Amino acid sequence: MAKQKITTSSTAEYFSKNLQQVGFSSPTKAVLTTLKEAVDNSLDACEDAEILPELSISVEKIGAGTLKNTDLVKIRVEDNGPGIEVDDLSKVFGEYLASSKFGRGRCSRGQQGIGISAATTWAQLTSAKGVTVITRTPKMRQAVSALVEVDIKNNKGVLKDKKTLSWDRPHGVSVEFVIDGRIQLNGEGGLLTYMTGTALVNPHVNLKFKVLDQPWQTIKRVTDRAPDVPEATEPHPHTMKLGEFIAHSHLFGRSTAATWLKKGFSRITDNAIGEFVKNGMNKKLTDTSVDKLNEANFKDIFAAIQKTELMSPSTRSVMTIGEEAFSKSVRRLGEVDFFAVVTRKPTICDYKPVAVEVAVARLKDGNAPSQDGEAPPSSVLRFANRVPLQFDKSACAMTKAVETVNWRAYGLAQPRDSVPMGPYVIAISLVSPFIKFKNASKETVDASDELVEEIRRALMQAGQRLSRHIRKEHREADLEEKLQHIEQFCPILVDCLCRITSAPATRKKKATEGIIKLLGRDVNAAKKQLTEAVKEVKDHEARGKIQIIKKESAEDQTPAGSEAEASEAELTVDANTAEAPAPKKGAKASKKEKGAEKEKAAPKEKAAAKEKTLVKAKKVAKGKEKTKEEELA
Amino acid sequence: MKEESLPKISKDLCSRLLSDLEAAKRPVLEAVKCSLDNSFYNPKVGFLTPGKKMVRTELNVSSVQKMSRAIFLLEILLRNVETGAVNTKRELYYMAKGEVKHSPELKPLDFQDQSESDSVIDFICEMLECYREELNCYANDRGGQTYSNQLVVTETLPDGGRAVVDLGSLGTTPFQPKNRPQSLQLKAKSRIDFCLIVESEGTANTFVANGFCKRHRAILMGAQGVPSNAVRGWAKLIQDQLKVPIYFFGDLDAYTMQNIFRTLKAGSAASLIRNSDFSAPDVKFLGVLPEDIKKYDLFDYPVKESDPGEARALKKAVDALKNDPFFKDRRNKGLAEILHWLLKNKRRCEQQSYFTVNSRDPQMPEKIIVEKIKKKNYI
Repeated sequence: MAKQKITTSSTAEYFSKNLQQVGFSSPTKAVLTTLKEAVDNSLDACEDAEILPELSISVEKIGAGTLKNTDLVKIRVEDNGPGIEVDDLSKVFGEYLASSKFGRGRCSRGQQGIGISAATTWAQLTSAKGVTVITRTPKMRQAVSALVEVDIKNNKGVLKDKKTLSWDRPHGVSVEFVIDGRIQLNGEGGLLTYMTGTALVNPHVNLKFKVLDQPWQTIKRVTDRAPDVPEATEPHPHTMKLGEFIAHSHLFGRSTAATWLKKGFSRITDNAIGEFVKNGMNKKLTDTSVDKLNEANFKDIFAAIQKTELMSPSTRSVMTIGEEAFSKSVRRLGEVDFFAVVTRKPTICDYKPVAVEVAVARLKDGNAPSQDGEAPPSSVLRFANRVPLQFDKSACAMTKAVETVNWRAYGLAQPRDSVPMGPYVIAISLVSPFIKFKNASKETVDASDELVEEIRRALMQAGQRLSRHIRKEHREADLEEKLQHIEQFCPILVDCLCRITSAPATRKKKATEGIIKLLGRDVNAAKKQLTEAVKEVKDHEARGKIQIIKKESAEDQTPAGSEAEASEAELTVDANTAEAPAPKKGAKASKKEKGAEKEKAAPKEKAAAKEKTLVKAKKVAKGKEKTKEEELA
Repeated sequence: MKEESLPKISKDLCSRLLSDLEAAKRPVLEAVKCSLDNSFYNPKVGFLTPGKKMVRTELNVSSVQKMSRAIFLLEILLRNVETGAVNTKRELYYMAKGEVKHSPELKPLDFQDQSESDSVIDFICEMLECYREELNCYANDRGGQTYSNQLVVTETLPDGGRAVVDLGSLGTTPFQPKNRPQSLQLKAKSRIDFCLIVESEGTANTFVANGFCKRHRAILMGAQGVPSNAVRGWAKLIQDQLKVPIYFFGDLDAYTMQNIFRTLKAGSAASLIRNSDFSAPDVKFLGVLPEDIKKYDLFDYPVKESDPGEARALKKAVDALKNDPFFKDRRNKGLAEILHWLLKNKRRCEQQSYFTVNSRDPQMPEKIIVEKIKKKNYI
């Protein structure tokens, strides 16, 4: 056999040949991933510097791409973050695995320092030009602009065309990628879906964006409080492997083993060390200097630790959006009818701290039923460390959790083992310093049983809260149906009976009076049930567990400052004042029209159509109630 | 229940309802509960009979639609009974739609599809404890094609006339039993040894084509799957009027055992009120029996549990052994054992597998069947 020459290659070389592993598997994904990486970096930087982020994003087509069936796309992301020192530019954008966040155990969006370098590589490979960066830190008198490229052979960033320029921002970063790609606006992998998702889980962000030829759009922040990013806690010994354990010891040099264990790990106390000794660790080792320990000693200590039961890792390192901020943010999804938000307490899943937050909202103009009256499935929005996950949903822990909840119990239609049907949006946010992604492109979260169960619980809590409102709607529809039944069927039943028995008109009259009296009692009972259901919902609303968006007059809906920003299409109203979106013109249909609409509705048995009918019935019920009462009287 | 009394019973019922309404009292409609938990099996009677459980429908805002629809359809059915007109369920569905079309005030009663009107017709029958044929509502019955060289059928026609059919004169053309076999009179021209009901219509035709009726003094009938009312009533008629032994020959699987054979022999839970006229308790299960597989080296194969139909049949077999009074009765122990065997072995064997015994002898299945009858190898 001929002798083969063994060569080594750089990390950059590996990734440049395997960009599909980090989210560049198709032209559509390439655009989204590039944008995502740039936005993630901006948001992380702002959070670190405790700055309320203001992002300006533009994505436009500037020509034909070099690859088949692609366009040349320019992606520009500008932030008001702390800026990047010029010396760091080449590392941040041009070097793989150069990160300020790697292994810090914080809930930041980026972790390894791969994404943005991969985006630079993609730009370099497809348009022969890296990323153009403008940066300015508060200390710099002028901004610096440079082109950063990746030296693929050596995994180093290369700075080109460096020049100073005046920039109207006191600090911040602007990145511009020109890449081959395809722009998808809507749908699961769409850019607009990404924007709405990012705004939803980042209530403190001001997002201004322009995609293709659409006008500039703004999503305003709904909270002025930047999230407190908790500091990382020490690692838990049960989450480590032997090699990591030994490597960790090198940080503690001459300290004693006891000091190393207590200071270097979470959940190890003097009592725990006593337990280690009971479980086979040599007591003398506790006072031995760490650098004197040999491999056998490390193995002994490690084995004793594994045998000992320790408290679960701390959940202090996990942050949440919070129910209040999340509630405000949910309204930015569109015209929301009502919603429930649940923030679970941080907990431990698979030895990793994790916090789950869930929002379930019903949209007024959500997915319309298909022609055969079947409602389409609800939208499931997935977020990991406040980043939207838009691909490969079927294997994700969050999708599995949604599918395994029995939504029928909460009044939603649901085919077996599927997401519920109807105009609902189910947003799930998972925050953890150690999210177990299934791949490097961070598109899917591994579906471990513990994690799925934790998400399920959050969803079930949200479902329970929603069900009160849905039940109230059912009662309203029920009352409406009962009133209609009396009006429609009583005369028919009496007529038929009289014809069959050849009864005289006097009997007919008496029977009609009798049946209306009888069924009137049922209506009264239904009204009582409805009153109770309304009271229940109000109680729940008062406790903040469910929020119902009430209709307000059109004048109240005009967003503040809309004149100044007349050219920009406002996606939402100023949510700081928590105002609801304006109802559509002509929303108030006449009673007759509504009645006709109701007749056209699909049969009640069809669960999906029922949902639609319920909403309509709710509208009709109020108007008709008085008339029916008079008739009954 | 006599047909003549149905209009009177219906009118009495309507009068009672009207009186209740005049007194502002909630009228109640009662119907026999037609389900397995209200079924009883007495081997002396031979078929499933209803228990005391009743379904009560009290008038309220929720049931007023159902009640109105029931009375509305009852009026149409009574009109048919009075005039002697007959209709199928589908025709009645369109007739109801026609009434609604011509009288807009009836629009709330409109049926969206036939299943809605069908269930109301069934409810009326359960309420009046009659079968729909008594209300001149006939099913588009299938199956029951019968061949015999000895049988003569006399039908009493609606106008009182009589029609006589000699099955021996029909050649290979089958006689199709009517929806109301009660109006037929059977007579044997000469001795008839047995009646064979074959599950598959096609196999029954093959037997006739191969000369079965020429060689045997028998009645041969194809059931065509789950027996329709016509097949069930026809089998009952043969049993009662000709007093000949009846054998059923079908697949060895849970579906055939429960849905086909049990229905033929003892009726079904859904038709509790008419099982007395639509079951033939003397019919025997000739095969395919589990022991036949070994004895004749028949070709069998495993039950596809991935097939929803077959998996459902197995699950139903478990339920049958637990809850079905027919299979729970010790006199039907042999049949219950077949179900146990099917559940244990999870294999099935089709009636056509008899053709594997000697593929060059077209009469082989017939020979096996006759041999089994002679040796009393049936359950």
